[in-house]
Amino acid sequence: MNPNLLAAPIALPLFVAALLLALSRWGGRQRIGLQRWLAAVTLTVVLVVALALAQFTLGGQRLVLQMGGWQAPFGITLIADGLTAILLTLTALVALAVLPFAIATIDLHRERMAFYPLFLVLVMGVNGAFLTGDFFNLYVFFEVLLMASFVLLTIGGQPAQTHSGIRYVVLNLLGSLVFLAAAGIAYGTLGTLNMAHMAQRLDAAPMAVRALLAGMLLVAFGSKAALFPLFFWLPSSYHTPPPAVTALFGGLLTKVGVYTIFRSFTLFFPDLLAAWQPLLLGIAGATMLIGSLGAMAQPTVRRVLSFHIISHVGFMLMGLGVALNGEKLAVGFGLSAAILYMAHHMLVKTGLILAGGAVEIEMGGDRLQSIGGLVGRRPLLALLFFLSAISLAGIPPFSGFIGKLTLLQITLDSRHWTVAGVSIVASVLTLINVMRLWQEAFWGKYEHPGRLTPWLLDAPVRRWLVLGPIGALLLLSLGLGLFGERFFQMTTTAAQQALDRTGYIAAVHPVQPESVAGPAETGGHD
Amino acid sequence: MPELYLRLLDRILTPVLLILTLFLLLRGHNLPGGGFIAGLMAAAAFQLQILSRGEVVVRRQVGRYLHPGIGIGLLMAVSAGIAGVLDTGFFVGLWFDIPLGPLGHLEIGTPVIFDLGVFAVVVCVVTSFLLGLNAVAEGVDA
Repeated sequence: MNPNLLAAPIALPLFVAALLLALSRWGGRQRIGLQRWLAAVTLTVVLVVALALAQFTLGGQRLVLQMGGWQAPFGITLIADGLTAILLTLTALVALAVLPFAIATIDLHRERMAFYPLFLVLVMGVNGAFLTGDFFNLYVFFEVLLMASFVLLTIGGQPAQTHSGIRYVVLNLLGSLVFLAAAGIAYGTLGTLNMAHMAQRLDAAPMAVRALLAGMLLVAFGSKAALFPLFFWLPSSYHTPPPAVTALFGGLLTKVGVYTIFRSFTLFFPDLLAAWQPLLLGIAGATMLIGSLGAMAQPTVRRVLSFHIISHVGFMLMGLGVALNGEKLAVGFGLSAAILYMAHHMLVKTGLILAGGAVEIEMGGDRLQSIGGLVGRRPLLALLFFLSAISLAGIPPFSGFIGKLTLLQITLDSRHWTVAGVSIVASVLTLINVMRLWQEAFWGKYEHPGRLTPWLLDAPVRRWLVLGPIGALLLLSLGLGLFGERFFQMTTTAAQQALDRTGYIAAVHPVQPESVAGPAETGGHD
Repeated sequence: MPELYLRLLDRILTPVLLILTLFLLLRGHNLPGGGFIAGLMAAAAFQLQILSRGEVVVRRQVGRYLHPGIGIGLLMAVSAGIAGVLDTGFFVGLWFDIPLGPLGHLEIGTPVIFDLGVFAVVVCVVTSFLLGLNAVAEGVDA
């Protein structure tokens, strides 16, 4: 397989975003329509590339691109293994689902302020963070997606948006600062920033360096992933932008943090997975509990849903915590379950936020106290919301069930009774929460706080742009649940690949600095 | 708010800054310098214009080109990377030897295009920041 394919999920969205910006003065009224179509086509192509990569890597192989033909520790490496390919596919799916909803709901002002280019740049940043095999490059992609998300959060210029945007960017920049400091320490002590090369040299590094780096990375990535106790930026910012933007963030952003925690702990510090297990599981448990308890106290649909994101990130971390355990079950089962849970979460959470957003726009507000009775007016939306909600809560046959079941299996198998119990409590609380939303928003007397008459679901085209993606995500969740075993086999391959660090290092194959100077003549990709 | 002395200084300094920009841009190929630094320098020239002529005038003159400029710069930079795929891989540099008759020959490659792209992005982004900040400073509604 041609390794240049790895550049496509990064280069293509960036290229099209640049094209849209360059043409932003021409085309008059058709311009926005052109932007929509180009964005949709781009994301579809990225999805196809991601699927091809998934098909290749889930056969147990890795694909490596040394950019510019420079060999590993000198140039920037892009690498895809199963985990990367699965996440790329999910990212493209989430983005493709949010795009029609955005087309239907984003106002003309935001569309003129380069909404679609920013959307593509955000996708590019997420893809880049998944693909890169270079530590500093990872930092760059974090900044790319932070900046793109910051602008998406604040365009429109409502005071509440600016307020939350500043909190969001300041707290995230603090996380980035810790990450940057960690990168500096890594370069100072290990003399390299290529991730495979770092992994190689970390084996010989003193314990103090390893523990310091691991701790800093856990803080930095934990704040990106909204883990306890660094989650507070998320609920204070996710409820202010338009619902389409919240759905995109909820589907993608925290998952980049989770991915980097997975990658750094499996690649750099596999021994700390065992030594720090109580810490990881403690954080996971606290995150699950805080997220679902916090959601109980929230007054609006979107705030409840954003607190849930936090709770679910805890489930994923729990899977990582028991990644190396297994008595009756195989080693790697926990990580595999976590990846499956991540897939479930990305699809269902996005769908549910979209459905909640549709409710909010339809009603003109999303305070639970002041809305109600939508089930008679919008039965299809009600049905989709209900099914997404029970999928999130983990009721079979949807994907939430298999995700939670496998995670519970491995925690019980490895005798972590407490965290298993906490996860059950968090699941029950999630169920209570989503049922509260369902009851308040859809049942009771019809109440409509907005001043405008409901407009969102009246025009047929717009109705399908809004309901279509929610339905499609729900179908994917159903598929994930029904064919759970097949998907679990895929995630197991991915988890074993992620845990096989010698394979990763061998695939990147960093040469020793003494042996080569200058660009390799052959291009260096194999 | 136009300032008399600054306008005089501006006539002398702006060409100097722009020549320095060009120098830094081309020098950056093998030595310290390059598109990013040259871009900042060019943006400094724009800031001088803003100080001497006022934000409104400069915005009227260049404001509408800034967004497309960012796009064109990004396009050039990404295209330089994609051009490498035609050879062996993403971001592999391609080199062309252009004979210039008696002047010798000019070896030019995709990294120069990349640098020019970065230059355009930096100039446009920083200038639009400066315009926004100056609008706030001058009390003009951006």
